[in-house]
Amino acid sequence: MKILLLGVNHQTAPIELRERLSVSDPRPLLEKLESDTDVEEAVLLSTCNRTEIVVATRSLAGARLALQRFFRHELGSGRSDASAPELDFAVHVYEHVDRAAMRHVLRVASSLDSMVLGEPQILGQTKDAYAAAVEVGACGPILSRLFQHAFATAKRVRNETAIGERPISVARVSVDLARQIFERLAEKRVLLVGAGEMMELALQALAGEGLGGVSVANRTPEHAAQLAQRFGASAHDLSELPVLLAAADLVLCSIGGDRPLLTRAMVEEALRRRRDRPLFVIDLGVPRNVEPDVDELASVFLYDIDDLSAVASENAERRQAERTRAEAIVGEEQQRFDGWFTALRAVPTIQHLRARVEAMREGEVERALARGHFEESQREALEQLTQALVNKFLHAPISRLRRESEAEAGMAYLEAARVLFGLDERTEREEPGSAASLPGRGSRSREPNP
Amino acid sequence: MALALHQIASDLYLVAGLVAGLGLALPAPRLLRLGPALLLAGALAHGIAFATLHQLQPTPSLTDLPMALSFTAWIAVLFSLALQWRARMGALGALVGPIAFTAVFAATLSLSRARSEPLAGAAGGSWPHLHVLLASAGLALLGVAGLAGLVFLGEHRRLKLKRRMSGQLPSLEGLDRANRAALALGFPLLTLGVVSGMLWVHSSGGTLLTGAPHETWSLVAWGVYAVLVAARFGAHQGSRQAAASAVAGFAFLFFAVIGLELLS
Repeated sequence: MKILLLGVNHQTAPIELRERLSVSDPRPLLEKLESDTDVEEAVLLSTCNRTEIVVATRSLAGARLALQRFFRHELGSGRSDASAPELDFAVHVYEHVDRAAMRHVLRVASSLDSMVLGEPQILGQTKDAYAAAVEVGACGPILSRLFQHAFATAKRVRNETAIGERPISVARVSVDLARQIFERLAEKRVLLVGAGEMMELALQALAGEGLGGVSVANRTPEHAAQLAQRFGASAHDLSELPVLLAAADLVLCSIGGDRPLLTRAMVEEALRRRRDRPLFVIDLGVPRNVEPDVDELASVFLYDIDDLSAVASENAERRQAERTRAEAIVGEEQQRFDGWFTALRAVPTIQHLRARVEAMREGEVERALARGHFEESQREALEQLTQALVNKFLHAPISRLRRESEAEAGMAYLEAARVLFGLDERTEREEPGSAASLPGRGSRSREPNP
Repeated sequence: MALALHQIASDLYLVAGLVAGLGLALPAPRLLRLGPALLLAGALAHGIAFATLHQLQPTPSLTDLPMALSFTAWIAVLFSLALQWRARMGALGALVGPIAFTAVFAATLSLSRARSEPLAGAAGGSWPHLHVLLASAGLALLGVAGLAGLVFLGEHRRLKLKRRMSGQLPSLEGLDRANRAALALGFPLLTLGVVSGMLWVHSSGGTLLTGAPHETWSLVAWGVYAVLVAARFGAHQGSRQAAASAVAGFAFLFFAVIGLELLS
């Protein structure tokens, strides 16, 4: 059995092409893909940054052709985007086989292949892709094991490294800083000065924290009202700023203008009214919306866009520093999975060996009874005795075969077993195709053929 | 057994402090979670050690300075654990752990040698013990207030200078609340400690004050705290000023209550 992965991502394909190849519901496509005789198992992962299909197959060449057809004709069908380039397999599509494919899946789930290193969403997206494949019966024992292993690896990477700990977007950095000033953001009031895109992004990041209340103040009250409506906030005119400032704990500013809107005198007055409770002011405006000397006030923490960007950059560097440790964990886990996957080679030989010896045992029992060496009433005892002998006889060689087959040189042991026990010589009692099959997918279970 | 438990408690406090400190420095959330658990284990061992003190011959008195310090450390650990349970105060654990270790280690040394001298004359019925228990508890809580203030000042400075951030550090608001709570509980206990001390002196000598330096300085320290409490709860002092006051106030109190005792 082979594992094959084909995909496009943010490093190989432009956004127009990624958009065209993206899939909102993979289930119907997986059903189609699974009907191909060369595809045993399949999982389709599609996010804004990647579309990948990973399959387990007995025929690498056949599966490759099936996936290429699939990329050309099924993905993005019915979607026409003149700006999207034609899919060029040599340029846009990457292919990974077996170990490289395993490693890739583990890296993707662990967010080591993401555009934003360490971002947490990819793990959830990978879990969704796996769940969809399980739902339509496209995921069998190999890919199930691979994806479960990938989830465990991602968890290890997150627990044992600091790859996802420090925020790297300006909005998330703001939230993180706010948490260092305030104990519970849910009790805090936020004031947005301005109603542009920047404010919307910041508000989205803050919305997840369950704020105590949000006010939006803007020169154009209609824009403030629009933004306020979307986030359940109250809209205000800029003339209300002194009152709003006294009530707010966190102030975000991003509004046009040549001169700072929030002056030191205005903030001092607000502090007096709020009895010097801490005030966190984030100035995202360029030119700046807040007088810089506001930062000299002891109870005010003023961060402008450069301050936030510097923190975000530093955090990004720290995440990069964690990459080596994360890659080492992925390497370890890939080897572990590879051991299991390689050991699958032993399954047909072991099952064949068991079947062969079992057939011999049954034959000898029948012969002994037919010759009258034993009474029919002794059959059960005879069956138990011979079964115990067979189990004892096979235990050591089978254990050894299982263990050795996990290593690269394990093939020699399997070959030796086949020769020594004559497993390639078909006996009359053996049915063709009676050899091993992997459990897990009911009627679609097939024998792994390494 | 009491001696061994004291030793175990001091070791656990030290390890808890180191683990919490490492958790903050790396940062490693697992270590930060382990810190309070170790501190709690230390506090349990410490509590049992107090309960089994009577097994020692001769039985040490709580009025012995090392034992009083050990009791102060125990109360400080318990209070800091309560604070850590309510909010992310790993940094406080990182400071309380080593300080508690020092106090308990000193007490263990004292227990293993000859008994030290009591704080004052042994006469006075139950007043000496009441005085030491109340004053030690007050000292412990005001010590935690001072530590919270110290961490607040460091955090405030870091945020003002826009230095490297760590999500594991306590929030300024949380530290301010801890400071406020410790002061609100610690000052009444200190007051009761001072009053019981005066009643102790009165019961043994017929006068409320003897004019001893320990007495005078303790009263001055109490006065300083009375002003700090009035500023904090009456005049709505700013949180940074309150933090600085808590640090300075505790430094003075420590000198007045313990420092003079050690110097004499």
